[in-house]
Amino acid sequence: MEQPVEVLGQVALARPRRAPLSWAWVGVVPFFAFALLFLLVPTFYLVVGAFQDDAGRWTLANIGALFQPEVMSAYAISLEISAASALIGAALGFMLAWAVVLGNLPGWLRPTLMTFSGVASNFAGIPLAFAFLATLGRMGLVTLLLQDAFGFSLYRAGFNVLSFSGLTLAYLYFQIPLMVLIIAPALDGLKREWREAATILGASPFGYWRRVVLPILWPSLLGTTLLLFANAFGAIATAYGLTGSTLNLVTILLYAQIRGDVLHNPNLGYALALGMVVITGLSNAAYIILRTRSERWLR
Amino acid sequence: MRRARILPWLALAVGVIYFLVPLIATFEFSLRILRGRYSFQAYANVLGDPQFQSTFLFSVVVAVATIVVGTLLVVPTAYWIRLKLPRMRPYVEFVTLLPLVIPAIVLVFGYLKLYNSSSILPLTAADWSTNVLLVFGYVTLALPYMYRAVDTGLRAIDVRSLTEAAESLGAARATILFQVILPNVKVAVMSGAFLTFAIVIGEFTLASLLDRPAFGPYLQLVGANKAYEPAALAIIAFAITWACMGLIQVFGRDPRTASRPAF
Amino acid sequence: MKLAATSLCTISTMALLAAASAQAQTADALATAAKGEGQLTVIALPHDWCGYGAIIDGFKAKYGLKINELNPDAGSGDEVQAIRANKDNKGPQAPDVIDVGLSFGPTAKAEGLIMPYKVPTWSTIPDNQKDADGAWYGDYYGVLAFEVNKDIVKTSPTDWPDLLGGDYKNTVALAGDPRTSNQAIQGVYAAGLSGPNGAAGKADAAKAAQAGLDFFAKLNKNGNFVPTIGKVASLAQGATPIVIRWDYNALADRDTLKGNPPIDVVVPKTGVVAGVYVQAISAYAPHPNAAKLWMDYIYSDEGQLTYLKGYCHPIRFQDLVKTGKVPADLMSKLPPAAAYDEAVFPTLADQKASNEIITKQWDKVVGANVK
Repeated sequence: MEQPVEVLGQVALARPRRAPLSWAWVGVVPFFAFALLFLLVPTFYLVVGAFQDDAGRWTLANIGALFQPEVMSAYAISLEISAASALIGAALGFMLAWAVVLGNLPGWLRPTLMTFSGVASNFAGIPLAFAFLATLGRMGLVTLLLQDAFGFSLYRAGFNVLSFSGLTLAYLYFQIPLMVLIIAPALDGLKREWREAATILGASPFGYWRRVVLPILWPSLLGTTLLLFANAFGAIATAYGLTGSTLNLVTILLYAQIRGDVLHNPNLGYALALGMVVITGLSNAAYIILRTRSERWLR
Repeated sequence: MRRARILPWLALAVGVIYFLVPLIATFEFSLRILRGRYSFQAYANVLGDPQFQSTFLFSVVVAVATIVVGTLLVVPTAYWIRLKLPRMRPYVEFVTLLPLVIPAIVLVFGYLKLYNSSSILPLTAADWSTNVLLVFGYVTLALPYMYRAVDTGLRAIDVRSLTEAAESLGAARATILFQVILPNVKVAVMSGAFLTFAIVIGEFTLASLLDRPAFGPYLQLVGANKAYEPAALAIIAFAITWACMGLIQVFGRDPRTASRPAF
Repeated sequence: MKLAATSLCTISTMALLAAASAQAQTADALATAAKGEGQLTVIALPHDWCGYGAIIDGFKAKYGLKINELNPDAGSGDEVQAIRANKDNKGPQAPDVIDVGLSFGPTAKAEGLIMPYKVPTWSTIPDNQKDADGAWYGDYYGVLAFEVNKDIVKTSPTDWPDLLGGDYKNTVALAGDPRTSNQAIQGVYAAGLSGPNGAAGKADAAKAAQAGLDFFAKLNKNGNFVPTIGKVASLAQGATPIVIRWDYNALADRDTLKGNPPIDVVVPKTGVVAGVYVQAISAYAPHPNAAKLWMDYIYSDEGQLTYLKGYCHPIRFQDLVKTGKVPADLMSKLPPAAAYDEAVFPTLADQKASNEIITKQWDKVVGANVK
């Protein structure tokens, strides 16, 4: 499917002076030069460090250490919380974006939501952890309110903000805005005419969704969910601030090794980070495969 | 039609409650600094601190610089990849996801090794060059969000047709980029700009380890040993950052497209 | 005979005077060299910690040097890492002096990251708190205490076993993550030294570590342990009404909160662990003379007493008390001296053994199963 399109591009841009292919590569040189200088070389240090011990000798011990039960369980919990907050955040964020862009709400709501999402997307770490403690902690505003006004004890019902579900709830605070900000421009691309055309042709709202919206938005939705996943996967400050001494996340383990107060092994930290890079790479590859398959139906 | 109208309002209501209640709880706590009654003393303490103003200003300037450099880097690249090098897409996307999982502390240690005062490119030798290094570091941190936002925006418009149409009218490449493509992805670029701004304002690791007088280290300093001031500071930072984004939006609005309903 | 004795006296007096003036000259020369360097870069010195704010101001006022303060929130590991990362960097990101936990001294020396220097008051520093070559030496210490929010907790606990009781449900928190933070690990260790079985722990650090872990497992099972990192904000808000913290931090918090809420600082009856911090000069310091001047200042009487004002016990405390240099009003601000009689100073070997056990086993023994 890609070949005919490329040929078309080449035909349209036929310039007698240079072969189109060498021109194309020049276009991405600034990006790769920048990435090399400020991202890839420091990453390279990390990759090299993962295979060394503290004296600088080559070793596979750090990689081997990744397969210990504590580390494996840390990865498992990190993956669980990243997946949970990404999927829920993507769903809720999408609904919120839809409501504001295509829900016929007052016009001033959209810019307000966009700017608010901008701030909220980075409201993480200790301030967020504290905000949730102050809201849903044992002495939190909502907890006490429910108790005093409705006689309902949140904690006796089994809820605890210092838990996996509490942390996921806190993560949503920056995941949902991220989804809203990135998917809103894509929703602009859904022309109203398509909705009208579908209705005229007899499609129910559900049918419109299934056959028009989802196929068009699918790659963007998936790509943004992946971004949310990686975002949660790499997050540490909020987790540390809220459930610091109990939840065994890979990022907390990593930071303990790289900047621990006691008994730290930075090379193990690099190996942990390398593991995270590999997982992110694999999920990105899966996304690319899924997207290529779905894109066949778009052109 | 009537049924459809409830759902958007419901979604909005749930969103508003979820996002505002924790802020209200933080605000309520910050008012409790004086025993037995509510007062704004914590806010007075924070706003009166000269370091608050100077570090916030520094971070705002750095944030704007990051947005400009980031946009100039990402928009042409995303456009180019989409148009000419679709096979590079997986690699570029993977590279843009890296900053999310490479800890910032690893990045900055790499910078100190590569660009310290005794290396070929001694960026840490002077204040202005360290600021440049800081901006580039922030562009790197914001890359995932900027790229994904712009890429999603480009996906929503028909890049190929627009380019061909412009070329058939005789436009040069730079003209196409800045006068045809960029206005069409302005909304997406704006999203990326908001995300970048928020990241830079609160960022701590790079600013602290490169020893720059930014807002992130100041937040950390106040938060470490005080109880009520950090809560007040969180609310103030939230409000001011929101206001700055509103300003970005106002300045970014193209007067020609201001009548369009979508923005 | 008398003439010889007199001339001997005269000669030795003159020699002493010459030596004294040479000493004074060196001190002046150092001050001049430091002023030539222009500034001192310090790291991890919050102003509320041991009165460092006053020490920094005092140093600036006395010598007119600029002080560049890096990351006040850095942990000991961060400080050593900062030296490592800035080996080739003479810019303002490289620290000149570091203030780290005891166990970091020898490891930093082994890596060649710190340089030896003996301050004028060297001899008055206890032997077991300093490196023989002068690479690192203790500057202050404190003990772990319970910081209690009196608005929420009506009766303060007096000892570790009290914390297990029914009155303290959902109240007790550590001030850090016991897998990484020195303060938290020492907290677990201290719990292990407490109670009727504490003597076994005093003899064997590994036993103390295990006992500490068992204590916290019980605390967690009883529902008294709050698995979040206790800070002054969460203490005041009510999420962590009892925090196990260094006494100097707890007392500084009491001052900061100004009675809102009222704070009680209790040194437990048993299981009292002292934590010593050490100062060292970076081997790659961009301003070595300023660093040496700083060391002279904080080990002088003036510097050490400023630590005391910040509720820390300066390392030369015994010496200062003996020579009657400690003002009575300063003494009254500290917790009663009797509490410190019980204090255990873990040796380097003790710390190594207990840290190993606590950091590795915390998740297994106490790991709250979060779901």
